Amino acid sequence: MGRKAKAEKEGKKNPAIPAGNSPRIGVYVCHCGRNIDGSLDCEDVARFASSLDGVVLANDSMYTCSDSGQEQIKADIKEHKLNRVVVASCTPRLHEPTFRAACVEAGLNPYLFEMANIREHCSWVHLHDREGATEKAKDLVKMSVARARLLEPQIETEVPITPRALVVGGGVAGIQAALDLADAGYKVYLVEKEASIGGRMAQIDKTFPTMDCSICILAPKMSEVGRHPNIELMTLSEVESVDGYIGNFQVKVKKKPRYVTDDCTYCGDCIKDCPQHMPNEFDCGLSTRRGIYSPFAQAVPATYLIDMDSCMNKHGIVACDRCYQLCEHKCIDFSQKEEILDLEVGTIIVCTGSDVYDPTSLTELGYRRFPNVITSLEFERLINAGGPTGGDLIRPSDKKIPKSVGFLQCIGSRSKRSNPYCSNICCMNTIKDALLIREHWPDTKIYVFYMDIRAFGKGFEDLLMRARREGVIFIRGIPGEILQDDRTHSLKLIGENTLLSKLYEYEADMVILSVGIEPRKDSAVVKRLLSLPSMADGFFMEAHPKLRPVDTPTGGIFLAGCAEGPKDIKDSVTQASAAASRANILMSKGKVTVEAITSRIDPDLCTGCGLCARVCPYGAIQVDEEAKTATVVEAACTGCGTCGPECNFGAVTMRHFEDHQILSQIDALAESEADCKILAFCCNWCSYAGADFSGVSRIQYPAEVRIVRTMCSGRVDPKFVEHAFARGIAAVLVSGCHIGDCHYINANRQTEKRVQRLWKKMARLGLNKDRLRLAWISAAEGLRFSQEIRAMKGIVDQITPEEIEKGVEAFAPKQPKGERSDEETRPVQ
Amino acid sequence: MKKPDLFNEELLYECYQCARCTGSCPAAFAVEGFNPRNILLTYLRLGVEAVITDEKLWCCTTCHVCEDRCPQLIDVADLLCSLMNEAAKKGHIPEKVRSSAETILHTGRALLVSKRVETIREKLGLKPLPEVPVEEVEGILEKTGLAAVIG
Repeated sequence: MGRKAKAEKEGKKNPAIPAGNSPRIGVYVCHCGRNIDGSLDCEDVARFASSLDGVVLANDSMYTCSDSGQEQIKADIKEHKLNRVVVASCTPRLHEPTFRAACVEAGLNPYLFEMANIREHCSWVHLHDREGATEKAKDLVKMSVARARLLEPQIETEVPITPRALVVGGGVAGIQAALDLADAGYKVYLVEKEASIGGRMAQIDKTFPTMDCSICILAPKMSEVGRHPNIELMTLSEVESVDGYIGNFQVKVKKKPRYVTDDCTYCGDCIKDCPQHMPNEFDCGLSTRRGIYSPFAQAVPATYLIDMDSCMNKHGIVACDRCYQLCEHKCIDFSQKEEILDLEVGTIIVCTGSDVYDPTSLTELGYRRFPNVITSLEFERLINAGGPTGGDLIRPSDKKIPKSVGFLQCIGSRSKRSNPYCSNICCMNTIKDALLIREHWPDTKIYVFYMDIRAFGKGFEDLLMRARREGVIFIRGIPGEILQDDRTHSLKLIGENTLLSKLYEYEADMVILSVGIEPRKDSAVVKRLLSLPSMADGFFMEAHPKLRPVDTPTGGIFLAGCAEGPKDIKDSVTQASAAASRANILMSKGKVTVEAITSRIDPDLCTGCGLCARVCPYGAIQVDEEAKTATVVEAACTGCGTCGPECNFGAVTMRHFEDHQILSQIDALAESEADCKILAFCCNWCSYAGADFSGVSRIQYPAEVRIVRTMCSGRVDPKFVEHAFARGIAAVLVSGCHIGDCHYINANRQTEKRVQRLWKKMARLGLNKDRLRLAWISAAEGLRFSQEIRAMKGIVDQITPEEIEKGVEAFAPKQPKGERSDEETRPVQ
Repeated sequence: MKKPDLFNEELLYECYQCARCTGSCPAAFAVEGFNPRNILLTYLRLGVEAVITDEKLWCCTTCHVCEDRCPQLIDVADLLCSLMNEAAKKGHIPEKVRSSAETILHTGRALLVSKRVETIREKLGLKPLPEVPVEEVEGILEKTGLAAVIG
């Protein structure tokens, strides 16, 4: 069945204007105010575009994405009977959906639209090279027009969305997201690794700036989660694996046993005789707990649990049954086993939260050497009425109430020795803590050593002023060193008051290190399971930092709370509700259209060898050994394109990223001065986004590079690279997500293998293999992208004309020339 | 100022004046008014001249503790070293430093050996101090440029 016939059979969701026999292309070059026009000549680019084959009209306009810009495109499609549209403006990751929608409104299939990225990949990265940038923009437009000529209409399919959600992490963000979705009527699975939900908020005493009691406002929400009919709470549980795609995720959750049944009445009889004492993690080790315990009074679920690491009963041998004897309801069951639960969900909200920085490595501060140097989280437990001291702030060394207290700000934050970012909450947390001390023990001398106080939120400045009024002493200048009097265990802080340019020595009975926030240590596991990108600091990356702040680049997966970046309770709750609302939008619609970029296999050409099935990360290709054909399961195919290069018979077609479309881009860029150009293949999710980030950050690099976008680096067929060298292109970059971070599970492993094979081949042919470079660049590594290009420019400058000629000869097509060029300019059906 | 590759000039702009350097500096606690943080800031805002004329610059003992503790990994001690070199080239050398340097240049020793020291050594049964190859020392210091600077 021909492709067109098949498309018709599947129904017409998108208006599929027949592309016509000859392409009629409209090209729009956007000035983007001064963003593009400031560093290249847009009019010149438009003039150049109008000379290209198939281009019917070419315009430049101030803002093509504006209403009037879109109206113009729509009008032109009708008036000039355009059957292809090319917009040269920003990254397709930003406005491709906008322009596709405009095309659809004018009756043009959205897959007949093509974008040239002349902002992030051109004007912003060549700010001071107007000539180079203009030439590059022309090339990029030429490549897009070449590709547009060969584009074909595609029909998108719809997939249903399972109306159930998974929330990973039961801190305040996870609780809020779960409650919002459950209240909206969806079934929610809330997976929490610890024994109780509550997270960091349950540990702290008061909240800023209102000084509300933290657990008092959180506990009602926690119990609501516990009894909500739509929420299935899984504590002591971890996500084991995630498969599937937007709307249809299959999740395996490992649930560890509590060894206490749900009949537990939380009476507490069981713990009385337990012989095992362990440091209490919830109290940061400042108190002890038994082997059978409850993490804290308000824990949800309100049942005890046995920590098998500390219990004497191991490997099924019951050596001690004191708790069992004491439990009247006989709720203790040593035979409970680990369970694996299979869940089917439509959306996932990631709320994996934060850890605090461990300041042990900053030896000059004496944490862990001096007993009276504690962290701000330990302080929260000390001053908490539910904590080990019943709310008395006492010194660990002698259990006396300190007469003077020093707070040190920015410990583990804003520093290249620890974490480079500002942790957002520490300033206000310290001010709140200082006021708490002032409230309970008004005579305590309180010093706050700071660099900058960041009190930017609603009501924050008021709280800061209150602290100043109430006599908290703010000293600008972090102590260089803390010394301890070994007899009294009191501390001496030495440093400089920078406002006075005078050295100080302050005595303090206790020092509180205001430690920063880090991503939860095991968030890397979640990152791997969900293939989520993260910033260099480990926090998960949003799909767009301004406009899609709770979406991840993966459809159906959302972020909330400190997993995305350090934030306070209010921001976490806001984000959680936002994430819940985003998930709700998907689930209430009940279906989502998936891009028509999946692969297809031509049964006439397929021999059923199964090579493609072997590299498919999703197992989406089924091989019928009898019929000697392979078929693609469309719902499971994600369109990475890794199967394409594997086929030796040309049977695989990657819709919208077809071989001849990509080859035409290469041909277009090789038309002039190929011997000084760099062709870069970038994957949509990481390296293309990384190149975008380079543009957004205005990191400059040489203008010789031309980027071709593929969904995954796995799409890059070795024959594309060979074709580039055959056309005399100086160097080729193949780039993708870091190994382990691939958006398509592990498709980039194939990329690695193929590039290595190419290197070997080049060495065999006597070619300089530096001309082919492989780089893993994440979406956050704009600087890395620019460095790679700069390094390649260095290589290109060294390449001799003889070397170029050698490449051309080595990879020249074997068939007669005429035949080949026929194939490349194959007329559009 | 001619900058040897001791420190990264760009990094200086990342200083946010937390004052951990001064707070860690043993010399700052010994000499009132010696303040590495302030020197860095003065250099950035007012230029080399404003820094090199102040003799307190020479209090730095190059113990490098400030660099150990600098959260921005700024080469504070190396900056001070470069500034001292610059000061020396422009002739701003404290008298005591100059005379010490001259002593080394002409005798090969940092301290002059008194007669009394020699008698004590003899009493203790120690060998007399070895001769210093003064010409060789002079040659070395000539080459390093120290001789010219203290001229």
